[in-house]
Formats: sequence, structure tokens, C-alpha cells
Amino acid sequence: MKEEVLPVTRVGRKACAITEPRWVRWCLTVGALSFLALFLLVPLLAVFINALDKGISAYWAAIVEPEAWAAIKLTLTATLVAVSINMIFGVAAAWAIAKFEFVGKNILTTLIDLPFAVSPVISGLVFVLLFGAQGLFAPVIESLGIKIIFATPGIILATVFVTFPFIARELIPVMQEQGTEEEEAALVLGANGWQTFWRVTLPNIKWGLLYGVILCTARAMGEFGAVSVVSGHIRGLTNTLPLHVEILYNEYNFSAAFAVASLLALIAVLTLIIKSIVEWQTQRKLSSQDESKTN
Amino acid sequence: MSIEVRNICKTFGQFTALNNINLEIPTGELVALLGPSGCGKTTLLRIISGLEEPDSGEILFDGEGMACRSVRERQVGFVFQHYALFRHMTVFENVAFGLSVRPRKKRPDKDEIRKRVYELLQMVQLEHFANRFPTQLSGGQRQRVALARALAIKPKVLLLDEPFGALDAKVRQELRHWLRRLHDEIHVTSVFVTHDQEEAMEVADYVVVMNQGCIEQIGKPEEVYSKPATPFVYEFLGNFNIFHGRVEGRKFTVGSMSIDLPEEQPVLDDATIYIRPHQLELDLHPNHSSYFRSHIVHINPAGPIVKVELLSEWNETIHVDITQERYTELNLRKGMEVFVFPKNRRMTLWNDREEE
Repeated sequence: MKEEVLPVTRVGRKACAITEPRWVRWCLTVGALSFLALFLLVPLLAVFINALDKGISAYWAAIVEPEAWAAIKLTLTATLVAVSINMIFGVAAAWAIAKFEFVGKNILTTLIDLPFAVSPVISGLVFVLLFGAQGLFAPVIESLGIKIIFATPGIILATVFVTFPFIARELIPVMQEQGTEEEEAALVLGANGWQTFWRVTLPNIKWGLLYGVILCTARAMGEFGAVSVVSGHIRGLTNTLPLHVEILYNEYNFSAAFAVASLLALIAVLTLIIKSIVEWQTQRKLSSQDESKTN
Repeated sequence: MSIEVRNICKTFGQFTALNNINLEIPTGELVALLGPSGCGKTTLLRIISGLEEPDSGEILFDGEGMACRSVRERQVGFVFQHYALFRHMTVFENVAFGLSVRPRKKRPDKDEIRKRVYELLQMVQLEHFANRFPTQLSGGQRQRVALARALAIKPKVLLLDEPFGALDAKVRQELRHWLRRLHDEIHVTSVFVTHDQEEAMEVADYVVVMNQGCIEQIGKPEEVYSKPATPFVYEFLGNFNIFHGRVEGRKFTVGSMSIDLPEEQPVLDDATIYIRPHQLELDLHPNHSSYFRSHIVHINPAGPIVKVELLSEWNETIHVDITQERYTELNLRKGMEVFVFPKNRRMTLWNDREEE
């Protein structure tokens, strides 16, 4: 009934009654754009201008230098592992929250948001208190002969913690909106849980999942506070890109610092572009659905 | 395959959805679970399918207990109210799903699946739509895809949850007849849930009337209609007028009207009689032995019968259905004074479940 009878309001078609006079619209647009230019575009340009201050060869040298290269590799590794882990747990958490009723559901929902509420520095500190030399689990870790704090595992742990909410938060509303009917239909038709997930649930959430992964990746690469606490700033070993920028900057090596920073900025811009494409795709999918509904 | 429902109880928190339900559905019948929303009919259907677990009681298919069989193993066809088609799959893929998820040993090969899917699509008259996505279909077409998908696994029982609930009146009517014909062709034991008494009466072999988690009556459509077991069934199956009055001997007296009863009754001061609008007749003169006076409040002459709303002399609203011919003959207008009399003695008296 709902789908058949009600006319669907198309996106982009607005009623005359709620449009503002031309000059108001104009003022608002100019205001918003100049604010954006001042606080986003100018700093972004400044990064690139400073980075290329001493010419393109100096820029290139700053990036291919072994320590910078190590930082890039470490950042990519940490991001890859953290995003993969968060993808699995994010989907699992969203699945549990959206499709099942259980005791403690509200607590779980709140806990997912915890990394947003806690300062990254504090979360880094927690890992030091747990896994550090004087930490709670220190004897266990020592007997196993592994190193967590001031090493790559610690950086990954901190990144996972800080970026955990992105994927789950993105998926919960998508899954809630879709309900459980399609999964029930699959079960009745004889599919097992695994088949239901791969063939019915996952295809339905893929755009939401991709969106969450993009946001999660961007945040994982740029994370500074938590990683800074657990990394120990060992050059060439435990320095991620943001930490490397900080070290270079503190050494008054401005053009190198900005060169590396420009890399991060590029990644951010790239992420924005991919995000827009994903959004545009989702929108297109939705509007094509609307069209067929109104026909 | 026959279905037996034994002592099924189900509660959701404080709410009792089903209260000790017993029901037997013989092989090959088409049965309607009919009742108002919240009466537990959908819950019962979901319990039969295995999507929901009962608190107590059991479901038997052909005498075999289903308690330890999961929904996957029961091999039921289930048609959801809002179709629940897989939105990212084409019509073909939707119908083929049940066959393609079978374990490798039992899975038919590609050509066989293709053949079976096209057979089904032909049956639901959608063979030209195989490559469309569900969003590109109308509601009625989607429902037919859902049915084809459910039938693809050759289910032993077919369960339909308000199958036509989300469709507009005309498509509904068409699909009803189509479902009836389809059932006559394939003869799979089918249960469908509906809140529309007309739909249940028209399509089903048997009607199960439910109310507040209990079964009120089970019977053929004409039985349920003409011999309702409880006041609820009577009220649910159509429009009605209620008269409160006094019963003595073979007479029921309300206001100045007395109605002859076919049988002797014990004296009762507050008896209730139900009469359907079409069992009453109007006249301009008091020509009959029992009648009462009333004023016409509203006339709805659109349709094959004319619905007249009146105010009786004891100030109660009375509904009377008359034919178009009678309406023209009497030349009725709003505000007129007319006489109401019962056409025959087929009225229903309830007095502690005593009926006649």
C-alpha cells in the first residue's frame, strides 16, 4: 500500500512555499563558501605551497627518504589491519544490534560510541597501562616474548580502538531500515546462515559498508593522539605519517614536514572524492528505485 | 501434506498471542486464518513455518512432529506480506534462490534450474520479466514473483501472510481468483492469513475465525456465515443490527415491534438479537405483523444494493440494505418516516451462547 499509492516526492523538487528570496539564498551561499575557503581551502593551499617551497626535488627527497618511507609503510600496514578488523567487528556488531533482541543491547550500542567520547590520548594511555612494562598484562606479554607498546601491535591496537565506531555506526541504521524479512525469506527457502549473509545481507549493505570503510580508512591514517602515546617515536620503526610530520616540524625542517603533510592531505582529498562517488552511486540507486515506484 | 496444530501457546512478554490452539488441516485444502489485527493469526502462521517457536505445544506435518526441525528443513513455502523479495537480485535469481542454495549433492544443475524457473514464471505469467529487478515491478507482479519463489522448492505446505494486504482493491480481486485457480491446479496444502472476511469467504475451502489468541470457529465459508458459533464471529463476518428486548414464548419484543421466533424460548428480560441489514425490509405503510417506525437519516444508493441508515423509534441507528428496484419503487428520501420489518425469521438470538 505504502509503496503503491503514495506519490513519492522526488529528491530535488522543492515546493515554492519554502524557498527563500533570491538575495537571502545568495547571501547564505556566499557566506558558506567564503567560510569554507578561509578555513579549509587556504590552509590546504598553504600546505602545498610550503611543501614545494624549496623546489620539486627537495619535495621528492623528503618523501623518498628512508624514514619517511618507513612511516608511509607503517601507516599503510596499521590502516590495512585496523580497517580489516573493524570491518569484521563492525559488521558483526551492527548485525547483532539491528537484527536481534538481547539483554544488554543498549549497553552495546553505547559502548560502540565510547571511542568518540574518549580523548584519543586517554585511550592510548589505557593501552600503555594495560600492555606497558609496568602494565597489568606485562607478565603475560613478557613470557610470550612479544612487544606491544612502542611497537607496531600497539599502534594497530590504538588505531582499531579509535576508529571502531565508523563502520558499525554507518551500518546500524542501514540494517535496521532493511529489517529481517529478506533474511527470513532466505532461511525459509533453505539457505544456511552463511549463505544468507553472503547472498542476501551483504549485497544489501555493501554501499553503507564501503562508506564506513572509507571514513574508517581516512581516520586511521590521520590518527595522531592515541598512536603518539603508544608509539614511542622511534624513527624508522614506530613512526606513522602524522608522527613523522610532527618530528620534522619540531626540528624546524618545515619544507620536509609540509611535504609529508601534503601526502596526508592528498589522501584526505582522495578519500573525499571516493566518498562523493559512493554517495552519488547510492543516491542514483535510490532515485532509480523511486522512479520505478512512481511508474 | 496435512498439518496438525496441537495445544500451541505463545506469549510475547505480558501479551498472550496464542492461547492453546488446536487445528487440523487436511491434505490439499486451502484454509484461511481470519481475524482482526492482533488476534494471533500471523503468529500462528509463523509458528507453523518454524520462523517462530511456540512456548508450548507442537506442530505436526503428516503426523510427524516438527519441533526439532528448523525452518530450513521444513520445506515450507512462505509468502510474506511485503513480498520480501531480494532487492539486489533479478526476478530470475529470486525464483532460483531456493534451488541454488541447496547443498551440492541435492542441487539441480544449471539447465534444470533454468527450466524450473521459467516453468514457474510462466505459471505466474511473468516469463518476460525474468531480467527485471523487484523495484521495476508493480505490487501485484511482485507478489506473483514471491509466490513463484516460494513454489520453486516444491513446498509441502504453502503459507501466505496477508498475501494481498498491500495491494489496491482491483489487483486484489484479480489475484484472489488467480490464487484459487492456482490452488485447484497444484493442490498443495495452503494456509493464508487475512483480516478481510470477503477474501476468506471467497477463496478458502475452510475458514478459521480467530480472536484474541483463540479460535472462535472452524468451518466452511457458508457454515461460518450462516451458523456463527459466537457473537464475535457474527459481528466479524458482516454488518449487523443489534436489538435488545424481551423474549417470551415465541415472541421477541423490542419497542412496539414483536418478532416471531421459530421456537419456544424461556422467558428472558434482556435478550439480544442480531439481524443483518439485508434481512430487514422497508415499507411506507405498516402492512406487516411485526414492524417498527423509524426515520431515514442517510441513503447510499451507489452500488448494486442501496444502504439506508435509519433512526429507530427508540433512538438507535439501524442499517437496512434494499435492492435498487425497491428503492425506486418506494421513492425514499432523507427524513422520511418508514416502517422496518424483518424479511424472514433467520435471525440470531444469543442468550448465554444459546442460538437459533
